[in-house]
Amino acid sequence: MKAWISSVGAPTALTCAAFTLVTAVFFISIGQPAIKTIADMMVFAVGDSYSLSETLVKTIPIMMCALATAIPGRLGLISVGAEGQLHVGAIFGTAVMLVLPESFGLLGLCLVLVAAAIGGTLFGFIPGVLRVRLGINETITTLVMNYIGVLFVSALVYGPWRDPANQGWPATKSFPEDLILPFFFGTRVHAGLVIAIGIAVLLHLQFHRGTWSRQIKVLSGNRKVGETFGLNYAFTALLLMCLGGAVAGLAGIFEASAIQGRLQPGLSAGFGLTGFLVAWLSRHEPLMIVPVSFLVAGLISAGDALQLFAKIPAASSTILQGLLFATALAVPGLIKRYRGRYGN
Amino acid sequence: MTETPARAAPFASLLGICKSFAATCAVDDVSIDIYEGQVLALLGENGAGKSTLMKLLYGVHEPDRGKIIVDGPGENPISSPLDAMRLGIGMVFQNFALIPALSVRENLLLAWPDTPVVIKKIKPQNDPVLKKLYEIAPQIDPFQKVGSLSVGEQQLVELCKILNLSTRLVILDEPTSVLTPAEAERLHGFVRSLAENGVGVVFITHKFSDVKACADRIAIMRRGQLIEDVEAQSIDHDGLVRAVMGTDATSRADPPGPPKSDQPRLQIRGLSAHSRNEVLEDINLNIASGEIFAIAGVSGNGQSLLAEVVAGVHQLDDGDVLLDGTSIARHASAQIMKPHVAYIPEAPRINGCVEDLDLGLNLALRDLSTVGTKPLANVRAELEKFDVRPPDPAKKAGDLSGGNLQKLVIARELADYGKAVLAVYPTMGLDIEATKAVYARIFSMAAAGAAVLWISEELDDMLESAHTIAVMRSGHIVEQFKNSHHLTRQKIGALMTGAHDA
Ligand SMILES: Nc1ncnc2c1ncn2[C@@H]1O[C@H](COP(=O)(O)OP(=O)(O)O)[C@@H](O)[C@H]1O
Ligand SMILES: [Mg+2]
Repeated sequence: MKAWISSVGAPTALTCAAFTLVTAVFFISIGQPAIKTIADMMVFAVGDSYSLSETLVKTIPIMMCALATAIPGRLGLISVGAEGQLHVGAIFGTAVMLVLPESFGLLGLCLVLVAAAIGGTLFGFIPGVLRVRLGINETITTLVMNYIGVLFVSALVYGPWRDPANQGWPATKSFPEDLILPFFFGTRVHAGLVIAIGIAVLLHLQFHRGTWSRQIKVLSGNRKVGETFGLNYAFTALLLMCLGGAVAGLAGIFEASAIQGRLQPGLSAGFGLTGFLVAWLSRHEPLMIVPVSFLVAGLISAGDALQLFAKIPAASSTILQGLLFATALAVPGLIKRYRGRYGN
Repeated sequence: MTETPARAAPFASLLGICKSFAATCAVDDVSIDIYEGQVLALLGENGAGKSTLMKLLYGVHEPDRGKIIVDGPGENPISSPLDAMRLGIGMVFQNFALIPALSVRENLLLAWPDTPVVIKKIKPQNDPVLKKLYEIAPQIDPFQKVGSLSVGEQQLVELCKILNLSTRLVILDEPTSVLTPAEAERLHGFVRSLAENGVGVVFITHKFSDVKACADRIAIMRRGQLIEDVEAQSIDHDGLVRAVMGTDATSRADPPGPPKSDQPRLQIRGLSAHSRNEVLEDINLNIASGEIFAIAGVSGNGQSLLAEVVAGVHQLDDGDVLLDGTSIARHASAQIMKPHVAYIPEAPRINGCVEDLDLGLNLALRDLSTVGTKPLANVRAELEKFDVRPPDPAKKAGDLSGGNLQKLVIARELADYGKAVLAVYPTMGLDIEATKAVYARIFSMAAAGAAVLWISEELDDMLESAHTIAVMRSGHIVEQFKNSHHLTRQKIGALMTGAHDA
């Protein structure tokens, strides 16, 4: 037992076990058959090709928002701004779509994506500059800027960008097909999945190999010592804030173009916050974020489906997410305490 | 000294205690009794296991094997520091736990068992929580923020905090390594008075002056084992050195010859700078190639700021620092300087290493932007050269004991011969052997042409080895001497404290 609990896999295995247990307790407490409901959830999350594809669709923005949090997180910066960056990314990308003439082809698609990344970057740059020049806490600024991003989308689609053809529905005109990423096998899963995983792998390499990874480790461990040895904290912090913003901005345009087909309110189902939690659960490890976002996306899809078919209260999905995060934070903490008590 | 306390039953007994961290056996089958009313000096080289042994008693770690009996029949009654506190045991750690943003009094109140819910304003003189503070450190203003105190002063506050709680046994882990001589003397007096009032004291130290001033009993550890446990009267200075080091390591490092040229190598010109709690005004120094230039002063008089400005870490307001004629100072906060001088900073745990990273990376900090990771064998060899224990490149720097961490920083900074050395309290927390090795290394770098700026409070060492000694007080260089036999400890001491002016 003692040896086993010190192994690397123990926290993950125990977290999963504990989460299954609290989920069962939760279902029992709301008068549902625990085992059957959990089995149903599995089916609704990944049980058939449709469920699986819908889970993957949700995985993409969650994964990208988690990566957007994890990038500045590697330096110890706590950004909660993925939600706002996602919205601004969508705005910038949509703006390009609106000004481009019809059928611009692959170049148009690239322009849309680049614009989205630039929009997100801008929303990472502002809190980044405030942080490194004026020492203003990035958590507060990113939190506040989320409201700006979300409300700005509303302002645009209720105002100048509303397409008259929508008969009053607040939304822009639809994205033409050539400005949308390709889909896989006729599902709603789009090439953004490949891009997101690609970014995760690239980040993993950047954060674990080479000079830059060591510089980030030193600066996040001890800023003063890093600066003593000629490292530039301000520049690194700004760069990471911008990179994080760019990734979230891409997630925004993926949602607007590939999933919703146009820019409209309700662009994100809280992906920014979910991504933030996923990043923290994954300890800011890009390669951990990939499976964890898939797991959380599955939980959300299953929760949504259960609402429809099993008459489980609408809040259950949120409660289950909350329970997942609580167990995932508590179990490793308890293990650490146990280890601390009995030596390494 | 104290009346034969050995006749009474011991307050605490440790029996056959063992404790390992992964492959390191930190404490190996140690049995020792601790009595009330007695000062036990615990000595031993860096990494001998002194801190670990006391942390076992205090409940920070649990022993792998062995028994701890405290005050009566029960076995192993302590499983956390809280239990230890309940039994009247307190410990001041090498790296202490104060909240910098709170005032001294608030920090003391946080740990005070009788803190009322509503804190009334009362005259500080009548405040029970400040009573101990006035006894051992009357110079500290209780309403000052802890963050603005010097390391030595923080140490004293931490000590007061513990003394407020513990009535029976106080464990002090190298308390004097960060104290000025005057502060240390006051502490010695206080430790004696504690013992006379029946409190047991365990005093971990490397300084024989501490032992001489207040120990009743001396215990010596080496490589995890207790190798000596004797009454203080029964051992003399040389015997003590032999027992601690296992050798006749009484000799000192040979001081270097005089500098070969007068050509200044490291120049400080009209330098002014300020930080939150220190200012420097118009400092002018010229250090020649091969010269060892010592700056004496009570800590907190601008030395740490001077060091950081010369190292290019802290921004200066005016003037310049030149190395062979080129500026190496940071003129604006946005300017990032490459490290130009070998720099051993004050408080290396905070200023000289990244605690969460391994020794290999910590050794490579100087060439972070250029080279990749070095082969493990090289890293191990470098660690062994400076006797960092354990020389395991994968170990986290934060897990090293205080002295070994200091050696780690020295191993990195003094590995290559450079143009200048900036050493701030370079031997802090080091045992005799390591101290000698560090001085030898610095002197040989000077002999090879480096300009050495040495900030210290070890007046005897300075008088023995420095070519030039300057005294710093309140951000100024008050006086500068060529070293000779006419210069005395008293003279420098008086200048440090400003006693001349009075
Ligand atoms: N928490 C820890 N984890 C791993 N190794 C440790 C830890 N604490 C101490 N050690 C190791 O145990 C040995 C004894 O350390 P310590 O008791 O701090 O020595 P000292 O006699 O200098 O106080 C050292 O080799 C040190 O590196
Ligand atoms: Mg120690």
